[in-house]
Amino acid sequence: MMALATIGLLVFFLYPLCANVYLSFTNYDLASSPKWIGLRNYTYLFTQDPRVWHAARNTLWFVVILVPVRMVCSLGIALLLTRRKRASGFWRTLFYVPALVPPVASVVGFVFLFNPGTGPVNTLLKTFGIKGPLWFNDPSLSKPSLLLLGVWMMGDVMVIFLAALLDVPKDQYEAAELDGAGGRQKLWYITLPNISPVLLFSAVTGVIAALQYFTEAAVASSVANGKTGIDAGADQLLGYPNDSLLTYTQWMYVQGFSSFQLGYAAAMAVVLFVVAAAVMAVLLRKAGLFRRKGV
Amino acid sequence: MKSAISPRPVRRPPRPHRPGRPPRLGTALAALSATAALSLTGCAVGGGDGPVASTPPAHLSGTVQLWHHYSGREAEVIQSVVDDFEKKYPDVKVHVHSGQQDTKITQVVSSGGDVDAMITNVNATLGTACKTMADLTPYMRRDGVSTADFQGIFAQATAFDGRRCSLPTTSDVYGLYFNTALLAKAGYTQPPRTLAQLEDMALKLTTYNSDGSIKTLGFNPLVGFQQNTSATFGGTAGVTWMKDGDSAVASSPQWRRLIAWQRAFVKKIGYGKLKTFTAGLGDEWSANNAFQTGRIAMTLDGEWRVAFIQDQAKKLRYGTAPFPVLDGSGQKYGGGFVSAADIGIDKRSRHKEAAWALVKYIAADTDAAVKLANGVKNIPTLKSAAASPKLQAPVQYQTFIDASGSPASATSPVTEIGSTLTATMDNFWTTYQEGSGGDLTGGLKKVDRDINNALSLRRAK
Amino acid sequence: MSTVPVRRTLAYVAEHALLIALGLIFLVPVAFVVLTSFMGGHQTLTGALWPHPWQWSNYSTAFHTAPLLRWFGNSLLYAGASTLFMLISSVPMAYVLAKVRIRFAGAIFFAVIIAMLLPPQVTQVPIYVMWAQFRVVGTMWPLILPHLFGNAFSIFLLRQFFLSIPTEYIDAARMDGNGEWGILTRVMVPMAKPGIAAASIFMFFQCWNDYYGPLLYTSENPDLWTVSYGLASFHGSHSTDWGVIMAVTTLATLPVVLVFFLAQRTFVEGITLTGVKG
Repeated sequence: MMALATIGLLVFFLYPLCANVYLSFTNYDLASSPKWIGLRNYTYLFTQDPRVWHAARNTLWFVVILVPVRMVCSLGIALLLTRRKRASGFWRTLFYVPALVPPVASVVGFVFLFNPGTGPVNTLLKTFGIKGPLWFNDPSLSKPSLLLLGVWMMGDVMVIFLAALLDVPKDQYEAAELDGAGGRQKLWYITLPNISPVLLFSAVTGVIAALQYFTEAAVASSVANGKTGIDAGADQLLGYPNDSLLTYTQWMYVQGFSSFQLGYAAAMAVVLFVVAAAVMAVLLRKAGLFRRKGV
Repeated sequence: MKSAISPRPVRRPPRPHRPGRPPRLGTALAALSATAALSLTGCAVGGGDGPVASTPPAHLSGTVQLWHHYSGREAEVIQSVVDDFEKKYPDVKVHVHSGQQDTKITQVVSSGGDVDAMITNVNATLGTACKTMADLTPYMRRDGVSTADFQGIFAQATAFDGRRCSLPTTSDVYGLYFNTALLAKAGYTQPPRTLAQLEDMALKLTTYNSDGSIKTLGFNPLVGFQQNTSATFGGTAGVTWMKDGDSAVASSPQWRRLIAWQRAFVKKIGYGKLKTFTAGLGDEWSANNAFQTGRIAMTLDGEWRVAFIQDQAKKLRYGTAPFPVLDGSGQKYGGGFVSAADIGIDKRSRHKEAAWALVKYIAADTDAAVKLANGVKNIPTLKSAAASPKLQAPVQYQTFIDASGSPASATSPVTEIGSTLTATMDNFWTTYQEGSGGDLTGGLKKVDRDINNALSLRRAK
Repeated sequence: MSTVPVRRTLAYVAEHALLIALGLIFLVPVAFVVLTSFMGGHQTLTGALWPHPWQWSNYSTAFHTAPLLRWFGNSLLYAGASTLFMLISSVPMAYVLAKVRIRFAGAIFFAVIIAMLLPPQVTQVPIYVMWAQFRVVGTMWPLILPHLFGNAFSIFLLRQFFLSIPTEYIDAARMDGNGEWGILTRVMVPMAKPGIAAASIFMFFQCWNDYYGPLLYTSENPDLWTVSYGLASFHGSHSTDWGVIMAVTTLATLPVVLVFFLAQRTFVEGITLTGVKG
């Protein structure tokens, strides 16, 4: 019964995990056999690669900003929705459906809507007398623009919160009200501790998703750039504007599968592994503490 | 861990185990260890350059997989040339994979995909792809094809590291396009010949809306706009990219002057205004192209724009000229940045003779090269084709044919790191043009370091 | 004494106003995209908000220039086959981990958790090399086949669900002479339907929306493009206008939203479950 999945774990997980470590010490371009070059890939990664730190910083931005903002917004809307009895299905659908739209489609749409010169958003701002910013074309606003998109697509997190909120035992609130607790106190001492497993779950999955943030950034760069000539090398479109949307996994993809430095990409993967493992360890431990204190 | 043997990889996908009858752990472990042994050897290129028959085969047959990066209208032209080839060799079928990005083609070749012949871009790709391609020298010697048949700069650029792994086909030549009506309105009859003149004219040709935003632009100086790159700008500025196999941009005074000129130009109009204007322009490849709609009066573009204008903006009154040179750079007027498409054979191809016949036909057959050039509206690299009376050249197109053979034309070096070379420069320049400032010489020194580090990683043994 | 009801009413109005405002903000992007999909190419570049004239032909152009049906077919194949394969491999594994006492169960479960938590890019390079060795890069196999060998997230999710089914049922079935397979197919699967639906929905949408996998493995073969990849490249490789691009975008989104409205309950329950059970 376990055979298929066990093979899967070995062939598609444990083995590649080990092979990856080996490859990270080699110069390997797929066309010829890997050549052992010791720590060269790592010295390049940590001391020479001009773009990898940009990429890491951008990914970190998504981990530190996108994940919490999405969670807070989702929680806010979920809280609003739990208080609605009438037409709750309608509202739930309205806020949930954007999460179903294929991310590529939403990015293409958003980049067009936020086009600084011709997009409806800036046209709308202009009617209010506001000069619209460059959005996806401004290196300092491109990530916040994707944040807007991320918030718009938060339905997946929102429904989970909503279900958890509806599961919180009513009598706990009633007891708290008898003790004279206000709304904020109820939220802090009853709601949040009750839904903490779900908060943890969405924090962990959110961080994992942010660490591998790729599609939205890649598509936004190439659409906003508008330069779609077939002769343009993939890395020329990458991270537009000014590397502000270059994420760690994009850079890894380019190194591995556009520049064919698979050994170097493997080294980047090892570092990603270490970081991801560390983040998970910290989050899971923190969560444990939170739970003991809260409940 | 490293295994020395490189077994011929299995062609078929692993057969899925039937559900319900799971194999035992022993079987699973055997399968696993087989996979492990396979994978760590890498996809070492098998076969390689085998001996080439001393006489061309009397009869050719088989299917040739041709991969190339043209799409749309241009892909149709390639297809028609391929059709001619199939008529000439009725037993050879050519299966064309069009619209493939260079990196994708390299990826397919490197991962052992079904490729026999491929057309890619020299500057971006040959440095990484050359070692996966067959040496053409024996075929050329046997069939009397000489590198002297091609324009020198392209013949040179299509070999790498001493290997003649490809031949040039069509080339891209860059120049200046100008809207004669807009220029005439501002009192100009001649296009600019130096960058300083270009800037003066551009500033006079630029008009603004009442809210201060740009209405029409004389020339868009932003690097990253359409074809504005370090490579194309550098083509007529006499810049130095490499010296003795190392990056040498910081020691090239032309680079410093070129970038300083561009940044000052950007500042005069305002980076923010330019950026907003640029972001609101139509797609470069559509009928909404800003030059074609008259929103930009002069632009740096490739020779293919002639065909696009013929197709999409018949009423546009325009002229072409070599791109202006950097003042006092020592560069002669009359050339431009050039780049070529190269065609070669996958080392692992099992139909090398048929693939070579196709390569020879596309690259070195005068009629085919003329047909290709007439259709794609690129410039032939084959001398006999460039001189052919059958080459249909509208006035605007002649500029590029002349520039192609001009000694003043330049290309960027072909290296192992492919487009990373120019991308590193582009990257620095796009940040620098924003005006956040910083030390130009220091920045260029960092470009040198970055390029050299990337080269050294690639060459690591 | 009337302050409480007044405050209640005020709060009610405020909350509703907020909700309606937020709802509008969420709807605006959709409205703009759909409106733009009816504009002519030149109008899309003017910043106009309302189509004038309405260019209905964008939709026929979209069908004409983008092989939408093929993209849908490929996405369906990718997502459907992956979901089926996932069920075949992950349901038994999850059952064993939840209900059968075996050696190393802890270690295996730990491996599943780690595999689930790590970004897939960590193992990308060797897996790609493996597929290249098998000469299947450029086919659907690298996308679909791994699911026949389990999917860590699904295993985890299903295990959590199986855990909540009382062991008495299993003991009873064993008394009746059922083997483990019998117990799984006759007892557990019918009882775990909501969990299985949740895992399937999750798997299906993950594949349907996947961009990275098709980019890496099938992008060189336009016959195998999926909706997500096709849409991204459509903008790149066609010199079309934004009206048509928005029409394609609208069409690409439509089936998912339709399916959602048809099976709303299962959907929300399923998606909710993925979170709550985790």
